[in-house]
Amino acid sequence: MLKNVLENNFKIQFEMLLNVIPSSVLMINRQLQVLWVNENFLLKSQRSKENIVGRFLAEVFPLVILQSTGIEESIFNVFQSGVPLKGQKMTYRAPGIPFRIYYYSILPISSEQIMLVMEDVTEQFRLSEEVRRIERQLALVVESASDIVLSTDIDGHILTWNSAAEKLSALSTQDVLGRYFYDLCDPYQTQEVRQILQRMKTSNATHTTEFNLINHSDNGKILISWVFSPMKDDFSKTVGTVVVGRDLAERRKLELQLRQSQKLTALGVMASGIAHEIRNPMAICSSSAQFLQEESISKEFQKECARKIQTNIQKASVIIENLLRFARSSLDTEMIEVDLISVLNETIELVVNQAKVQKIKMQMSTQKKIILVLGVPGLLQQVFMNIFLNAINAMPNGGTLDIKVTTIGDRVNVRINDTGIGIPPSELENIFDPFHTSSPVGQGTGLGLSICYSIIRQHLGSIQAESQLGQGASIIITLPFI
Amino acid sequence: MSKNILIVDDEPDMCWIISQLVQSQGFNVVTAYTGEDACLKLAKGCFSTVFLDAKLPDMDGFDVAKYASLLKKDKPSVVLVSGYYYQDDPVIHQAVADGIICNFLAKPFTNKEFINILMSSQ
Repeated sequence: MLKNVLENNFKIQFEMLLNVIPSSVLMINRQLQVLWVNENFLLKSQRSKENIVGRFLAEVFPLVILQSTGIEESIFNVFQSGVPLKGQKMTYRAPGIPFRIYYYSILPISSEQIMLVMEDVTEQFRLSEEVRRIERQLALVVESASDIVLSTDIDGHILTWNSAAEKLSALSTQDVLGRYFYDLCDPYQTQEVRQILQRMKTSNATHTTEFNLINHSDNGKILISWVFSPMKDDFSKTVGTVVVGRDLAERRKLELQLRQSQKLTALGVMASGIAHEIRNPMAICSSSAQFLQEESISKEFQKECARKIQTNIQKASVIIENLLRFARSSLDTEMIEVDLISVLNETIELVVNQAKVQKIKMQMSTQKKIILVLGVPGLLQQVFMNIFLNAINAMPNGGTLDIKVTTIGDRVNVRINDTGIGIPPSELENIFDPFHTSSPVGQGTGLGLSICYSIIRQHLGSIQAESQLGQGASIIITLPFI
Repeated sequence: MSKNILIVDDEPDMCWIISQLVQSQGFNVVTAYTGEDACLKLAKGCFSTVFLDAKLPDMDGFDVAKYASLLKKDKPSVVLVSGYYYQDDPVIHQAVADGIICNFLAKPFTNKEFINILMSSQ
């Protein structure tokens, strides 16, 4: 009697317990009849208890589910083996409600009963699908970008590498995973890239720069414009670096064409000025030669004529030489280690005759005999040539052109001072703008200093102007040195 | 008394050449290296002809020519001597039509051409 009461109590408690859990529970016998079912299943299946208990499984679940899951066979197997079956997926749809997704387990209780436990995982499933979809979307964005997108860990080991990076470097993700990013860059710039990655550890700001990526298949250098950003975790702790890079080849090609066409434009504009410059000495030579043909001239006069012919041919030839040097195309754009002092000396050599003609003294002082920078010698020469000629132009009545080279930290300063007419404050701001010129029409294109600006920027340097009207002008160029 | 000729050119060698040619024909020579100097000398002196360069360091040759054409008395004949323009340059045609200059000689020139222009402008 007491035993019966206790058993009854226990059964009630047991049923209460099974009824409150948020899973569906069915007890099933060997004949695949449902012996008991909990409230949760009734709710999910929209059926009454009477409609289920005592029925065969085939009457409780739609045929299509039984066939697709093979659940009847599974139950039979569990009865046979006594080994539970866990974590199977089932999609079940009761009439009038949307599809639900379940994970079910078949657990043996006795030789006559098994328990079918079904957990509704529709929501979790939907969430993980959503997460996967977002992940796929993000991956697609990164993969489809024509820009290089990569990430590194805090020490600079590559974590991700998109298809643009694979294409430009000719290295697959497999090839680069775990390697140091700076090892894939131009060996000349390895140190710089290391320093940037180092700086990312403590910085909150992005860093923009340009350096070469090496193409693995042909060892070619590809100039890329890079943006480094620190990668932060949920707690704002820097865990790595995100690096985005854009191939500058197309832009460089355009810039090169622009520089060439600017040169041609400048040559066209200069043509009349050059004609004037050359026809003057020609006229002097021509008339002097005609004097020499006369018979009655004195020895003294003869000498004077010969001297004039000599000096004026010299003058014309200097003008032509400068023109040639100006016109010579600077197609070479490869950055190499170059001694800035040599570049300066060679450029001074080119303009020193011109300066002498205009009674301008040129002088240079430097702390070091050799200062190596990474640059394109032809382009650097174009910059200094441009600035020297500007300075010479600013001193029509002679003066001094002074070049001072100093080094501060990791940068070299080239200060070019003239004692010319100076630059009015109103013009000081825009002298680096294209087509800004203070020269009379026909004597300047206004492109000179804007080209200097773009070349110096390309060399990761800066260019500034200082002047007080009537007291000369200074152009200060700063470049990083090796 | 021989006539005065003004030579305006910033290039001393050029002035020397023209001086030789002008003096060979028995004229007096006055030289100016800048536009301002030329205008001062035009205002003070009396010249039959001015040989004028087109590009001067301080002024445009045409401005000096205009100044000469505005003189009240003893207006000189202005001959532009320049490598900057060519013989049938529209700018030159216009300046001749406007009466600012009376002739043009392109550099380089033959001494004979120069003397012909010098004599015809008297």
